[in-house]
Amino acid sequence: MRSRFDEQLSLLNKKMIGMGAECESIIALSAKALLEGNVANARKVKEQGHTIDQMEREIEAICLKLLLQQQPVAKDLRVISAALKMITDMERIGDQAEDIAEIITFLNGKTGEECHDIRLMAEATIKMVTDSIDAYVNQDLKLAKSVFDHDDIVDDAFDRVKQTLIKLIAENTANGEYALDLLMIAKYFERIGDHAVNIAEWVEFSVTGIHKGE
Amino acid sequence: MSKKIFRSIIAVATVVLLASLFIASSFLYDFFNKSQVTQLKEELSLVAANVDKSGTEYFDNFDSSVFRFTLVSAEGTVLYDSQANARDMENHLEREEIAEALKKGKGSSARYSSTLTERTFYEAIRLKNGDVLRISVSQVTVGALIIGMLPAISAIILISSVVAFLLSHKMANDIVKPLNELDLENPSKNETYEELAPILTKLNKQHKQITKQVQELRQKSDEFEQITASMNEGLVLLDKKGIVLSINAAAKMLFSADETAVGRDFLTLDRSIDMSHAVEKALGGKRAEFREERNGREYQFVINRTESDGKTVGIVILCFDVTETAFAERNRKEFTANVSHELKTPLQSIIGSAELLENGLVKPEDTKRFVGNIKNEATRLVSLINDIIRLSQLDEDLEPATEAVDLYDVANEVVEELNVSATKKQVELHLHGESCIMNGIRRYLYEIIYNLCDNAIRYNKEGGKVTVDLKNKNGSIILSVSDTGIGIPAEHQSRIFERFYRVDKSHSKETGGTGLGLSIVKHAVVYHRGTIKLDSKIGKGTTVTIEF
Repeated sequence: MRSRFDEQLSLLNKKMIGMGAECESIIALSAKALLEGNVANARKVKEQGHTIDQMEREIEAICLKLLLQQQPVAKDLRVISAALKMITDMERIGDQAEDIAEIITFLNGKTGEECHDIRLMAEATIKMVTDSIDAYVNQDLKLAKSVFDHDDIVDDAFDRVKQTLIKLIAENTANGEYALDLLMIAKYFERIGDHAVNIAEWVEFSVTGIHKGE
Repeated sequence: MSKKIFRSIIAVATVVLLASLFIASSFLYDFFNKSQVTQLKEELSLVAANVDKSGTEYFDNFDSSVFRFTLVSAEGTVLYDSQANARDMENHLEREEIAEALKKGKGSSARYSSTLTERTFYEAIRLKNGDVLRISVSQVTVGALIIGMLPAISAIILISSVVAFLLSHKMANDIVKPLNELDLENPSKNETYEELAPILTKLNKQHKQITKQVQELRQKSDEFEQITASMNEGLVLLDKKGIVLSINAAAKMLFSADETAVGRDFLTLDRSIDMSHAVEKALGGKRAEFREERNGREYQFVINRTESDGKTVGIVILCFDVTETAFAERNRKEFTANVSHELKTPLQSIIGSAELLENGLVKPEDTKRFVGNIKNEATRLVSLINDIIRLSQLDEDLEPATEAVDLYDVANEVVEELNVSATKKQVELHLHGESCIMNGIRRYLYEIIYNLCDNAIRYNKEGGKVTVDLKNKNGSIILSVSDTGIGIPAEHQSRIFERFYRVDKSHSKETGGTGLGLSIVKHAVVYHRGTIKLDSKIGKGTTVTIEF
């Protein structure tokens, strides 16, 4: 009985890592699409978003099956419930990457190079997502905590992006639409950072049993 | 085993005990009966003698608690009975023993009581007066005897079973003890039941065989370990569930893993989507191969499954660092494309001019110009091909004899040769410095200085200056060629030593040159184990410093 349970748990773990990898890849792809002004890459993002949605449903089914059939307690229960929460955040990351890609198709090949901080944000959020998934994979509390700290970098960069964009509009109002698009992209990156923090919090919960929000 | 022995002993003991009890008691009962009959007869003859002598008065002071005496007349009337009133008793003439005694003088019989719990033996004798004296005794039957003896028998059985239990327990243990104490590590050294000898011999043989095989396996795995450890390529072995079985040092570096990686899921080391797909494909029996960037270097991953008896037993992941190869590949592709382009352009021009001449479309006064054009392009082609030949010679590392060369002499030669073209471009060409003697190949060194000076003149402004400087410093020779030319933009500086690379992408013929000069310089310098330093500012000029 227990061995079957272990098997299902390791399957869940595998699927979680797989979904994490998809998330990493999707934001790397949308960031790349932004930096290169590549519309073809932006389209690929949409397909990958679909894969992530499917994986969410798959993992959800595994979690519910485990909860119903095995009635886990203690750490097992924490791991499974944390997984259920984490996939929601991962799915949101996928959605937001899709949103970024959609905006990129409106930019007409512009790459936001007027605003260096937006690139910085992209890099920082990719690192946050990678770190939060790594923290899950290795059950690494220290790495999970470093994700919390990293969020400040993203938030600061977002503030700077706002300043730059205000200047951009002030210089020439014709830039208004472009600036607003960039602002949306920056906001999405900022949200992705928040979701990465959420994932890191759930990793902490599944290891220690204490959720940071408490 | 000891339990089985114990059970068998107990069973045998029980059977023996019960059988002996049964046999002994039946013999005893028989013997007892016979002796009682004998005793009865002796008593009867004794009493009969007395009655003959003293008549019925004898009974008056006769105490008979054990036996019962009855005196019966010849007519069957009971005259006396020692335990009942004679007058109440019926005629006894019909009784078997009395009838027999009347007839033969002696009679005997035995009868069961109505309850079957008692059996009565009768003996009768005819007295001298014709009366019959009968003696009888009652005895309990076998069934009653057994019932009566039950407590004693039970006690015997209980005691003997306890004794049997203890004894058989000890015996069973004693029998099994040598078996339990067998030293299985050294089967041949045991001294035990000879029946076990064949098994022990066989065991010994197998033991030796296994030890040998284990040793061989260990040796092989050590060899494997050593080979994989010193491999530059990463090697990871997975089982069919994707758990890491073995990972070598190079792969540990690549996946930034440590010892704990063994036994974990490979996904925890690398979760790249391409990798998961490749592993899945390999599990399906197909070899998978892909390239991906890791830690800033390009790796080629080859994933294959390992089989045993046609079944997948695991996955092998091989990782090659192909950064250099990929770079060289890109370079070669670019080179081929460039060579074709460079060779084709002059040829097109030649063919064009030739066609015009052939078809008589050229005015006679222009013919000379067209032929000149063809000659110029052909010269360009020849110089291009010469350059390529020189480069490939350098590539092939053919080692011509080295000699002591004075660089100053070589530079002087170059300056003299290039003076004409320098004057044509209105550029001043100077040589400074001292005699610098080094071991090298004169032709290559000439190429270095020639190409550098040629470029310095070619890409110079009118009225510019080119200075060649040579000096000895701390045992090495420093050659620098500086110009006051157009300079090289920073983003191109790292690539100008590549073949056919040109800052001016239009490959304009304006300045001439093949795009191979600096490439030849680089190769020749590397050949002499020198280093090149480039220092250039746009509009100000370029200084190339070479240190041998």
